[in-house]
Amino acid sequence: MKNALKIFKKEIKEVIRNKSIWAPILIISVMFSIFLPLALMFAGDISEDVEAMEFISKMFGSSVDAQEAMINFMVKQFIIFLLLIPAMIPSLIAPASIILEKESKTLEPLLATPIKTKELMLGKTMTSIIPAFLISILNFIILTINIDIISYLKFGILPLPNLEWVISAFILSPVISFIITTISLVFSSKTTDIRSAQGIGSAIIIPIYAVIGLQIAGFFLLNIYYLLLGCAILIAICPLLLKLTIKTFDRENILTKWKMK
Amino acid sequence: MIKALNLTKKYGKLTAVDKISFEVKKSEIFSFLGPNGAGKTTTIRMLATLIGPSSGKILIEGKSPIKNSDYIRSIIGILTETPGMYEKLSAYGNLKYFAGFYNLKQDRIKKNIEKFLKMFDLWDRRDELVATFSKGMKQKLALARALIHEPKILFLDEPTSGLDPESAHMVREFILSLKKEDTTVFLCTHNLSEASSLSDRVCIINKEIIRLASLKELQNYKKTRNVEIVLKGNSNKYIGDLKEIDNIFDISAKGNKISLSLSDPKNTNPKIIRKLVNNGAEIIYFNEIKESLEDIYLELIKSEKSDEKRA
Repeated sequence: MKNALKIFKKEIKEVIRNKSIWAPILIISVMFSIFLPLALMFAGDISEDVEAMEFISKMFGSSVDAQEAMINFMVKQFIIFLLLIPAMIPSLIAPASIILEKESKTLEPLLATPIKTKELMLGKTMTSIIPAFLISILNFIILTINIDIISYLKFGILPLPNLEWVISAFILSPVISFIITTISLVFSSKTTDIRSAQGIGSAIIIPIYAVIGLQIAGFFLLNIYYLLLGCAILIAICPLLLKLTIKTFDRENILTKWKMK
Repeated sequence: MIKALNLTKKYGKLTAVDKISFEVKKSEIFSFLGPNGAGKTTTIRMLATLIGPSSGKILIEGKSPIKNSDYIRSIIGILTETPGMYEKLSAYGNLKYFAGFYNLKQDRIKKNIEKFLKMFDLWDRRDELVATFSKGMKQKLALARALIHEPKILFLDEPTSGLDPESAHMVREFILSLKKEDTTVFLCTHNLSEASSLSDRVCIINKEIIRLASLKELQNYKKTRNVEIVLKGNSNKYIGDLKEIDNIFDISAKGNKISLSLSDPKNTNPKIIRKLVNNGAEIIYFNEIKESLEDIYLELIKSEKSDEKRA
């Protein structure tokens, strides 16, 4: 664990110095947790809007208050949008961490030290997951503050935090980060090109876009049961991915099977 | 200190190292020579516990790397063939980072970093990013990294590659000085003059061991010797007389110099001198030409290749 922390400390400094990693994270964060909630500011009374009312009654039933339903619907969208952040951060950090190690040809001297390969893997995983978790939580908090201020001023309600928010921020978000991290680490071992390694991470994010699309199209509405089901499925995948990553990080595997520059 | 017994490494159908056995003694400088793809780096990796052998046995300080890999990694230092450094860290930062993985106290880490950076003339540039360093400086820093925990065994894969002559000389002197500190050095090099000037013993390998001997033994392995005799005056007239002596062949004369090959030098050399003196020749000098390690290496590799073809 001590050695994993040493790796984490060194790598996190490199992440902070690497603009190509944190610039897109900053842009997406500002967009999702500050600009998107501002859309609520411009939301007017939709009870006159026939199309909107039809959509609301389809999703929530006809008995609910239209304004409250609309805010709830937008909040669900924002939460899903925000799940892109814990997915995006590891897809940028994890490949960079491995590919830069390959480029600098430091893997062999590092493996010649008494470090355990599990510590190396843990260090790399922490470098990716810890910032992803912290930045995601920060975004969830900023989003909550913004939405509550705007909703209270306009409609007198405080929609967040709710149970969906708690599950998304504290269970789904770290699980997504873990999955993207492990897949990115495994894929990075097979390539020497940082862009293609980061590309695979972006490809894994596609299901999240699909959820957003389906919700906007009115096919389903995210609720606590869907969230818990999603969490259960993703958590079930985690041990398999962990096993695959541990296998990938075997000393001999790294030196003889990883694609090197 | 290091014992390898029938060490074999296979990658699928390809055999990288085939049943090699050798022993390296404490504080010995042991050189591994061989063409590209001969299995030198694979052997170093197996000995350094980076990869496991397909079969055979390794003992380091009498311990098996399989059960004692952490201990073995803590007593070995390795300079890899392509010694990478973290370019965005300073020289000091690189050494501090790697030293952190050994169980060393902070004050010892600081002391050793200073000692080795000063030794390799890098102390004044300790805070500069490695990205600004020349290839030679990086090589010296990588050597400092391999030594940072003062290992008992040092594996050096091409230690002077990329160094200017002055730095290469300094590194060679340093390797020789390690002997006095009881460090065992396992050297892999293409530089044959380096191997001959540093090594106690040389192992020529091409997947399997072709020859393992001290430099002196290698020079004596051939049954024939080349001799050069310089006389006062023309040497041509003595050729006929010398041809009468047994065990002499390939004789030629040019000006005052006679070149010949002979076998059984103990008995043949006195006969040559006696014959020349009795026939009135004045000998300026009589010299047995020692073969360089390069000649011996090339000859052994050549004969190995022709053996392979025949097989």
